[in-house]
Amino acid sequence: MVYWEIIRKSYRQNLQYRLSHLISNGASAIFGLIYIAIWFGVMSGKEGTSPYAMREMGHYLTFTQCTLWITTFLTPGLGISNSVRTGAVSFDLMRPVNYFLYVISHEIGRIAYNLLHRSVPIGITLSLLVGLALPANPATFVWTLLSLALAVYLGLLLFYLVGISSFWTTEIRWAHQTIVAMMLGLGGQMIPVNLLPDMLGKIAAALPFACILYDPAAIYMEKIPPTAIGLQAGWALVLTAAALTVTRLARQKVEIQGG
Amino acid sequence: MFFLYRKLLAASIRAQMQYKLNFIATAVTTAMLSSIDFLILSAILHRFDHVKGWNLYEVGLLYGLASIAVSLYRVLAPEIHDFERYIVFGELDQLLTRPVSPLLLLLTRNLELSRIGGAVQGLVILIVSLGGLAGQGRVTWLLLSYLPIAVLTGLMIFFAIGLATATTAFWTGQLKELQTFTIFAPATAANFPISLYPGWLKLLFYSVVPVAFLNYVPMLYLLDKGGAWPLLLVAPLVGGVFCWLSIRFWQFGIRHYHSTGS
Repeated sequence: MVYWEIIRKSYRQNLQYRLSHLISNGASAIFGLIYIAIWFGVMSGKEGTSPYAMREMGHYLTFTQCTLWITTFLTPGLGISNSVRTGAVSFDLMRPVNYFLYVISHEIGRIAYNLLHRSVPIGITLSLLVGLALPANPATFVWTLLSLALAVYLGLLLFYLVGISSFWTTEIRWAHQTIVAMMLGLGGQMIPVNLLPDMLGKIAAALPFACILYDPAAIYMEKIPPTAIGLQAGWALVLTAAALTVTRLARQKVEIQGG
Repeated sequence: MFFLYRKLLAASIRAQMQYKLNFIATAVTTAMLSSIDFLILSAILHRFDHVKGWNLYEVGLLYGLASIAVSLYRVLAPEIHDFERYIVFGELDQLLTRPVSPLLLLLTRNLELSRIGGAVQGLVILIVSLGGLAGQGRVTWLLLSYLPIAVLTGLMIFFAIGLATATTAFWTGQLKELQTFTIFAPATAANFPISLYPGWLKLLFYSVVPVAFLNYVPMLYLLDKGGAWPLLLVAPLVGGVFCWLSIRFWQFGIRHYHSTGS
């Protein structure tokens, strides 16, 4: 299938940067270690007041530090804004494939690469330092995989929406920075969203940002029931509809400009 | 030499002010987004009260100083920070033909004024934290008058680290990966008390990338955390020595520079 070919091509393109990525994995692990050290400092002597034990917080941060690379650290705007600026987008839109699937297939290849060359090494490194958590219930593995798949898809959708906005604005730097700040801040990168102060915590848990980093990690650690996948799926439907609608509008926009 | 510095700098500022609106938007967004980090920290300390004995305002002081220092470095030395391209595209060759030191030229070529937003955000956090500490009756004249020295120390430390990192590009031709180790990770770490980190990281923050001295070390005395007054002198001294060392390293590097020849 054509999309499968796109995924494989983009995976292979990324392989040439292996060495420098290997180095930056070390840096990413150090960032993880800094966050873990902060939490250990915060929680020492106060474990009783938290739904996460100190060790568990280490496991949580290890998990999110790995999933960041397949859900949050994607190409800004999935590269759409670049092709809008160069004009290459008109050729992309002419291709006999679905534009949305074409763009996300390309990114999925990169995500597959990141999974094997970033998430896995970072996960192994940090697990050696803080230990590895294994779920008590084997079914949790299945739920986690499902939840992760939705998280990856939601990350793609948010980045796609930012990217496609460049049809109107050409400049996505601010939109990109804002969405990433939300995905990290309200998504549970530094703090599991259920530890945020009451109202903020409740609102954050309902937003799509928490579906991306927090939900898979909390499901894996059996801190929330797998029913959270329902919310993820709901947001996936809403955002897919939004993405397809905006794509149609964008296509008209290009036609009006006359390419 | 300072006359020349001022003149070259003024030209670069005039050039950037051609795009005022873009400049303001950039500065405001940077400031707002970087304060999210601190809000998250407030949420954590709201729940857990303190981290290794440092309350929110005390951490805020560290956080504010570190933010201001790293942002000022990014404002003042963008060409040092992005030095990679001078090597990769051979742009350094042009600079070497001028009758002025290449380091001075790099420092005056460009100011990344939009990054001033990060410094403003750091300043706001600093002021809020000082307000909170004043409420606890812990702000002294000594603390207030030391803050400019701390900012200067921080700027020297990040400049020294940035320049030393950039110098490695003479041999490796690439910087981005190394900068994450030497600048971004230490800058994040310096937002919090250094006592949090495992021994080997602590050692690094006191020696190779001495970010401990820009806020944590002097605050040990100023916030009465068990430090003695000589720490106030040690910190700027370390900053100065590191600056000198990294300039020497830079001069050594530039003598061994071979153009890409492109």
